[in-house]
Amino acid sequence: MNGPFKPAKPILAAAAPAPASTVVAKSNEPLPFGKTKQAREAEKALNHIVDDFDDNPKAMAYFYDLFRRVYCRGESIERDGALIGTTCIQAPEELVYALGATPVRLCNGSYHYDQIGAEFMPAKSCSLVKATLGMLTSEDPVPRIGKMNLVVNPTTCDQKKKASALMQEMGHEVFDLELPNVKESEASRVYWRRSVREFAEALRKVTGKRLTRKNLKAALARTQRAEKAFRVMDGFRKASPSVFLGKDAFLVVNAYFFDDLDRWCEAVEMLNVELQQRHDTAVRAAQKKAPRIVFTGSPPIFPNLKLPLLIERAGGVVVSDETCSANRMLYDMTAVDEWLVNDMVDSLADKYLKPCTCPIFTKNDDRRRRLLELVSKFQADGVVYQAFAGCQVYEMEQRSVARTLNDAGIPMLYVETDYSPDDEGQLSTRVEAFLESIKTRKRMRQ
Amino acid sequence: MSGSLEFPGAPTARPLSRKIRDAANGVDFNRFRFWLQVGFFILLVYGGFAGIDLGGRLPTFSCVYNGEGRPGMCYLAPLQHQLAMPWQRLFGEAGIAVLTGFGVFFLWFIVLNKGWCGFVCPLGTIQDWITAVRRRLGMRFARYSDATFERLSWIKYLLLALMLLIPLGIGAGYVSHDMSAPYCMICPARLIVPSFAGDFRQWVVDFSSPSKLALTSLGALTTGTFLIGSTVKKRFWCFFCPMSAFHYLLSKPAAFRLVKDGGKCTRCGDCYGVCDLQIKEIADDVKNPQIMMDDCIVCLKCVAACPEDGALKATFAGLTVFESTEAGFIKRMEKGATT
Repeated sequence: MNGPFKPAKPILAAAAPAPASTVVAKSNEPLPFGKTKQAREAEKALNHIVDDFDDNPKAMAYFYDLFRRVYCRGESIERDGALIGTTCIQAPEELVYALGATPVRLCNGSYHYDQIGAEFMPAKSCSLVKATLGMLTSEDPVPRIGKMNLVVNPTTCDQKKKASALMQEMGHEVFDLELPNVKESEASRVYWRRSVREFAEALRKVTGKRLTRKNLKAALARTQRAEKAFRVMDGFRKASPSVFLGKDAFLVVNAYFFDDLDRWCEAVEMLNVELQQRHDTAVRAAQKKAPRIVFTGSPPIFPNLKLPLLIERAGGVVVSDETCSANRMLYDMTAVDEWLVNDMVDSLADKYLKPCTCPIFTKNDDRRRRLLELVSKFQADGVVYQAFAGCQVYEMEQRSVARTLNDAGIPMLYVETDYSPDDEGQLSTRVEAFLESIKTRKRMRQ
Repeated sequence: MSGSLEFPGAPTARPLSRKIRDAANGVDFNRFRFWLQVGFFILLVYGGFAGIDLGGRLPTFSCVYNGEGRPGMCYLAPLQHQLAMPWQRLFGEAGIAVLTGFGVFFLWFIVLNKGWCGFVCPLGTIQDWITAVRRRLGMRFARYSDATFERLSWIKYLLLALMLLIPLGIGAGYVSHDMSAPYCMICPARLIVPSFAGDFRQWVVDFSSPSKLALTSLGALTTGTFLIGSTVKKRFWCFFCPMSAFHYLLSKPAAFRLVKDGGKCTRCGDCYGVCDLQIKEIADDVKNPQIMMDDCIVCLKCVAACPEDGALKATFAGLTVFESTEAGFIKRMEKGATT
């Protein structure tokens, strides 16, 4: 354990993989995990994240180590109670924790699984959905979270909706959590609150436990701690020059997908202490003139941190993001007026619907306003918009977002990409040109 | 890390003004408001016993029927009496007295705006206490559907219109004098507020004339509805209160304001979730900075429940007195989840 503290729960080694050097791979034996394509993909991404940058925060060692164990060495993760897989951020995890179960987010960022999942999906489909299906169809998927008791599939975009039946065919127990397509209307609020109650009921059947005031309050306190830790970390990204890089922020929040909640909170709190020190002693993670970027669009999920990494390797800093794999997942907090089961459940339901800026909804005013607010709050110079090829909703919103940003005088780079590493060269040229143009703009203004 | 929030960029030595402001924004707001309401309740229900006299033009339910205890009068009672004067007097020399009375009421009002409802009104405070009892019992509360909300929201204006027109009708000779102070007769405060000072004389139905019978029966009915309604609906009566409508119509120049910065709003709906009056605009309207709607009682629970720095604020004569902060929000919700 290289981490700066003792974990609350150790990560257990799975079926003790032998050190790669002592193993002579025979042709009919499976490769040791460390030699598989997916382990190498993860290793490569992690090496870029760690080694391409000087002076990473020491507390990041916990996260680097976690990803190395889980993705590169294939170690499995210990779990409490029933395991509930979620395919989107809209599944209220507080309900899962309250009933003594553990949520794990299944959204996957691996090109290896993307290729496997391609079998189930049309040619022009979203890498994320393909990779998630690819992972779910695998015998022993990574991260090794164990057998899931239930997969919760919020009915968000079409591809995820239709993935529900495919996951069922693969033998998973799937609960379709009905999310409305419109979020402004009162009807949608009522409908969604009822959906969330049905979800609680489905969880009761899986866990055999009932929601009580006590267990729900305790669950809210646990996620509150995570949200607070996230918000503090997020706050440090306002600093200019930056004390913390976006690639690390993405990795931290990606760990939240599968890590033990309390251990994750401890690790982020340790990181926050270090970031405060860095802030106080004016340690810089990037150059003073580094272009500050807000990242939006399709979510970067490890190992596919391709685009954020390209930005930061080219001298930019991702100071904030509007994506469901980071900011949108942990930023919003629940307000409760009366700490009784009913009001807590309704408040939770509202939190998962109302502030959500997912492009699956009919309107995207909130997303555009959110981007403007993030640019101003984090003093960003530009926006990079990632759309996974085949992710129709993000592709469709590109025009309106570009117009809004353009009207506000904020430059935006729109990048259509997927999990394949093939376009890295081409993308790096575009990113460098974009950052260069921002630098020029800044110079001209001065 | 369970202690204080270390917010980045916060200078280690904060100036005193900043410290005071942080303390105010991080306050346990519900408790603060509870005790403030208790203080105002004591003043407005028992203040008269201590010889306090604030006059007869108060913009809140310092109920006139609470004879000895009240330290002043709710303006609605004298207003209705004045309007019932014969028209010749009303539109003659007495008109000046009516106007100055209104002027005094208006001056009182603009100080606190509808904060009179959220912090001072004894009937409002009693509803909050009933809510607290319900909460202690673990009972859930009811909400109106949107359609019901729309259907009911004009009632306060109707009551306000009747409250002004019926006395005018009396003055013109069209309506019986037994109908004087019609709103007071049906206001739950007439029965409930004096009861807190040990005076139960209003708990009667007056059979002396058909009009009085009708009004006192209606009063008993509204009081019964009030008691039942407040146990299932937060601030049940405020939704129908003509004083609330009257306030709103005069609120433009008020000193105390509820202000929203739509740019900082994520429309998460936290404010709507805690709003006793179910005001949707507080969460949804990101264009209008003057966000106090007609049903609003400026209780500022929305400000306390907003996690975005500076998205909602209460200002007094342009100065911010209380604003939403991330740190304050987290402190309050942590307390809620752990106690």
